[in-house]
Amino acid sequence: MRDVIVFVEHSGGQTRKVTFELAAEARRLADALGGKAHAVVAGSGAAALAQQLQNHPLDKIHHTDDPDVDKYLLDPFVDYLEAVAKSVGPSVILVPNTMLGRDIAGRIAARLNAGLASDVTELRVENGRVNCVAPKLQGSTITTCAFKAGDYGVITVRPNAFSAAPKSTGAEVLTIEKPSGKSYKMAVESDVEEASGELGLEEAPVVVSGGRGLGGPQPFETLLKPLADALGGAVGASRAAADAGWVPYSLQIGQTGKIVSPQLYLAVGISGAIQHKVGMQTAGTIVAINRDATVPIGETADLLVVGDLFQIVPALTALVQKAKAAHA
Amino acid sequence: MKIVVTVKLVPDPNAVRRIDPATKRLVRTGVDTALNPFDEYAIEAALQLKERLGPDTTVTIFTMAPESMKESLRKALAMGADDAVVLSDPALEGSDVSVTSYAMAQALKKIGFDVILSGALSDDGNTGGVPGALAEHLGVPGLTNVRKIEEIGDGRIKAQRETDTGYQVVTGPLPALVTVTMAVGEPRYASLKGIMGAKKKTIDVLSAADVGIDRPLGSDSAKMEVVAIAAPKSREKARVVEAADGASGAQAIFDFLRERKLV
Repeated sequence: MRDVIVFVEHSGGQTRKVTFELAAEARRLADALGGKAHAVVAGSGAAALAQQLQNHPLDKIHHTDDPDVDKYLLDPFVDYLEAVAKSVGPSVILVPNTMLGRDIAGRIAARLNAGLASDVTELRVENGRVNCVAPKLQGSTITTCAFKAGDYGVITVRPNAFSAAPKSTGAEVLTIEKPSGKSYKMAVESDVEEASGELGLEEAPVVVSGGRGLGGPQPFETLLKPLADALGGAVGASRAAADAGWVPYSLQIGQTGKIVSPQLYLAVGISGAIQHKVGMQTAGTIVAINRDATVPIGETADLLVVGDLFQIVPALTALVQKAKAAHA
Repeated sequence: MKIVVTVKLVPDPNAVRRIDPATKRLVRTGVDTALNPFDEYAIEAALQLKERLGPDTTVTIFTMAPESMKESLRKALAMGADDAVVLSDPALEGSDVSVTSYAMAQALKKIGFDVILSGALSDDGNTGGVPGALAEHLGVPGLTNVRKIEEIGDGRIKAQRETDTGYQVVTGPLPALVTVTMAVGEPRYASLKGIMGAKKKTIDVLSAADVGIDRPLGSDSAKMEVVAIAAPKSREKARVVEAADGASGAQAIFDFLRERKLV
């Protein structure tokens, strides 16, 4: 187990930011293991994306723009990843812990009879073995797992847990041959973007999240969105807000939603039950605005401001906008 | 149509969870067991299909667990499922994702199915890798994160599945494995009649040998080992500021963000 393979996630012709984080981590691991860092990029536009990836510290970039990857659900992705993994031999496969990444990880782990470590936030090489550190049991326990040597290992990595380190190392770009004898059954009829042009919630450096305290769907648009825009971030929500139908479930943060790890997390009108805490407790800085000083989010937050969110949020947006204008 | 819902029994989400320092495994004995909350959505989706497709459709609950926990499945039967099957074998204890999904697949092949429904994540391990691995072992398509089953029948399924950026509409043949999100609807409560009726429903127990498992099982076969467990770094207690008005509250946050170089 010496080489490291990164599964490249992309959409709309853009590589997702987490891929670059994985590329930097793959380089570090490959150097520690004495192997090479690979990337696998499949789907329409893959050739162009492979070229862009040459600005990241990889050794080999394997690509295919086979249209089957976009036409059929998941299986072609897994086939191409498997083909590269088999040609490289026992290796570590890094996949982002996103909806697509989790699907890929389970499948490729079964194909390669590999171990699977999920939602990993730290990686270490000790005695030639890769150790994976991940929060478990609602973040109450940090476990370190090690892969057995000689096997493949699949790791889903939490976005924002590592930093990208763009640097060209003259990576070789290679085409992957289509695996033979494959036929696909589950066809993708349409692919609809619901939140187009917005930053992926898991990858946003700042998340402004709203809960029951917002009282309805409008404040997400009129209060939180402008603040998130000013801070260069994305809007999230608590389960209460999603259950109430104020926002789609895709914005929900927490145990039953997305797990985020931004530099700054602003919890607005969110009480912060344990299920919510699971989704955001590894954020760099946590600021809460709530009218109740005794809310559980106070135990997770770095700063809790007790007051009226409907007055505080617009005033904060104005301050941030003013500071940005002065800076520009 | 034969629907099988795979569920996981997890320590009661409201109870304190503990890891045994010697085995480095979650302590699952001596604590109340409950259905993984995500899986209740899969049961709900299955019961909705049964209502839609009529009495020829059956819903079987399947889990892999110690036999002593099988009574925890009564809740699913009380909600309206027809029967349940437990794969139970001491040899399975300590199995990781790869072994678990293989063993489950062997049992599911034995039970037979047109559709397998399951929740998208588990509440305790939070691995999320089992459904994909299960689909691989079964050799069936895996439709994950489904929010709506548009059409099902005549050996085909058409469904909407959530993606990170929106949703996809996918179609393909049955049998298939489908994982559902919470968007399928709140799990129903069991009626009194359902609770009474559940007492008479059967819960079958299968062993590893019954389902033809011929691979090494348990922690010896696991591909990973836990080398350390630790408590998370605790954060310092929050600074609390009482804001008299919007401007002072906003200023307090702005100054704090400045201090941390976040604006």
